[in-house]
Amino acid sequence: MIQRITNNDLSDALKQPTAVLDFSAKWCGPCKMLAPVLENVADAMQGTASFYSIDVDENMDLAMQYRVSSIPCIVILKNGKEAARDVGFQPQPGLQAFIEQHL
Amino acid sequence: MNPVDIAVIGTGPGGVSAAITGKIRGKSILLFGSRRLSEKMQKAQKILNYPGLPAVSGSEMAETMLRQLDQLEIPILEKQVSAVYAMQGFFAIQTAEELYEAKTVILAAGVVTGKPLPGEDRFLGRGVSYCATCDGMFYRGKTVAVLGYSRHSCQEADFLAGICGKVLYFPQLPHDIAVGPGVSVLSEKVTAIVGEDTASGVRTGQGTQYDVDGVFVLRDAVAPDKLVPGIRMEGNHVSVDLQMRTNLPGLFACGDITGTPYQYIKAAGQGNVAALSAVSFLAAQK
Repeated sequence: MIQRITNNDLSDALKQPTAVLDFSAKWCGPCKMLAPVLENVADAMQGTASFYSIDVDENMDLAMQYRVSSIPCIVILKNGKEAARDVGFQPQPGLQAFIEQHL
Repeated sequence: MNPVDIAVIGTGPGGVSAAITGKIRGKSILLFGSRRLSEKMQKAQKILNYPGLPAVSGSEMAETMLRQLDQLEIPILEKQVSAVYAMQGFFAIQTAEELYEAKTVILAAGVVTGKPLPGEDRFLGRGVSYCATCDGMFYRGKTVAVLGYSRHSCQEADFLAGICGKVLYFPQLPHDIAVGPGVSVLSEKVTAIVGEDTASGVRTGQGTQYDVDGVFVLRDAVAPDKLVPGIRMEGNHVSVDLQMRTNLPGLFACGDITGTPYQYIKAAGQGNVAALSAVSFLAAQK
């Protein structure tokens, strides 16, 4: 399951041992393609990492705080600190492997 | 919309051969390319080693291939593919206007010459972008450099001028430059993208450095790993096995994109193998 972030409130994600943030926007083609792939990865990795989607238009402060300049952008947080990021679409095996590297 | 059986990207000898074989095997085909087929083929003066067509000129070969496509009722979609996404069980093919779906894809887009600029890969997503419409809004009121490769880049620069504070346009290849008053054209070639954590400037061949907040690299010819995220490369070429399979199930490649020798007959032969492999893949999915 992927939780939707609203009002720039990332407090829940910051408490997690591993949080995966998906910065995206409704008008971004590659973001739309990535969304179902990330859903599958979140289902496959249930219990090992927490997943969040962040619409950059609705959460511009977070996008600026994390210096997001290209979307889709996946940021992995370990205990609230950025451990890795990846920009652009990735097929499921690659995306899942990328996240698993940082568990 | 139901996905087609096979989408072929590219209309050189590899792509044409793949489309013909796929069609003869009764599969639905989407062929992306141009009715000129291939600029490289059109310019070839004499092709001496294509069996059955002795000393044919490139344009004659293209004309014959086009006639064969027409006879088999394989239309050519004259649209530029900007990305191919490997989804679960199908592929999404993005063009400027539309999204198409296919069960398998054969990549026959030719070889892309040229390497990324120094700093381009390092700062991708950290100040370097390939998509003005996707990422322009992150540079509201800021200064950006646009590295232009064609007239299409000019339109993107004009789009950015509506958002950004300042747009510096660097023509990387010769082309007609038609930009609005919000874009400053600098006739210098960018040779490197510089910065520390994020891109903060571009350096030109004249040794000048321009400080910018973002760099948009707007090439027409997209490298295979940018065109198909997740595809495995070997240097500048797509990695394939003898069945023309890539590392992504259902995605095949043929022709110059798979490496040297860059020969028409090799491309056509590989296109045939790629199409037959796609047909086998489709049969195994049933």
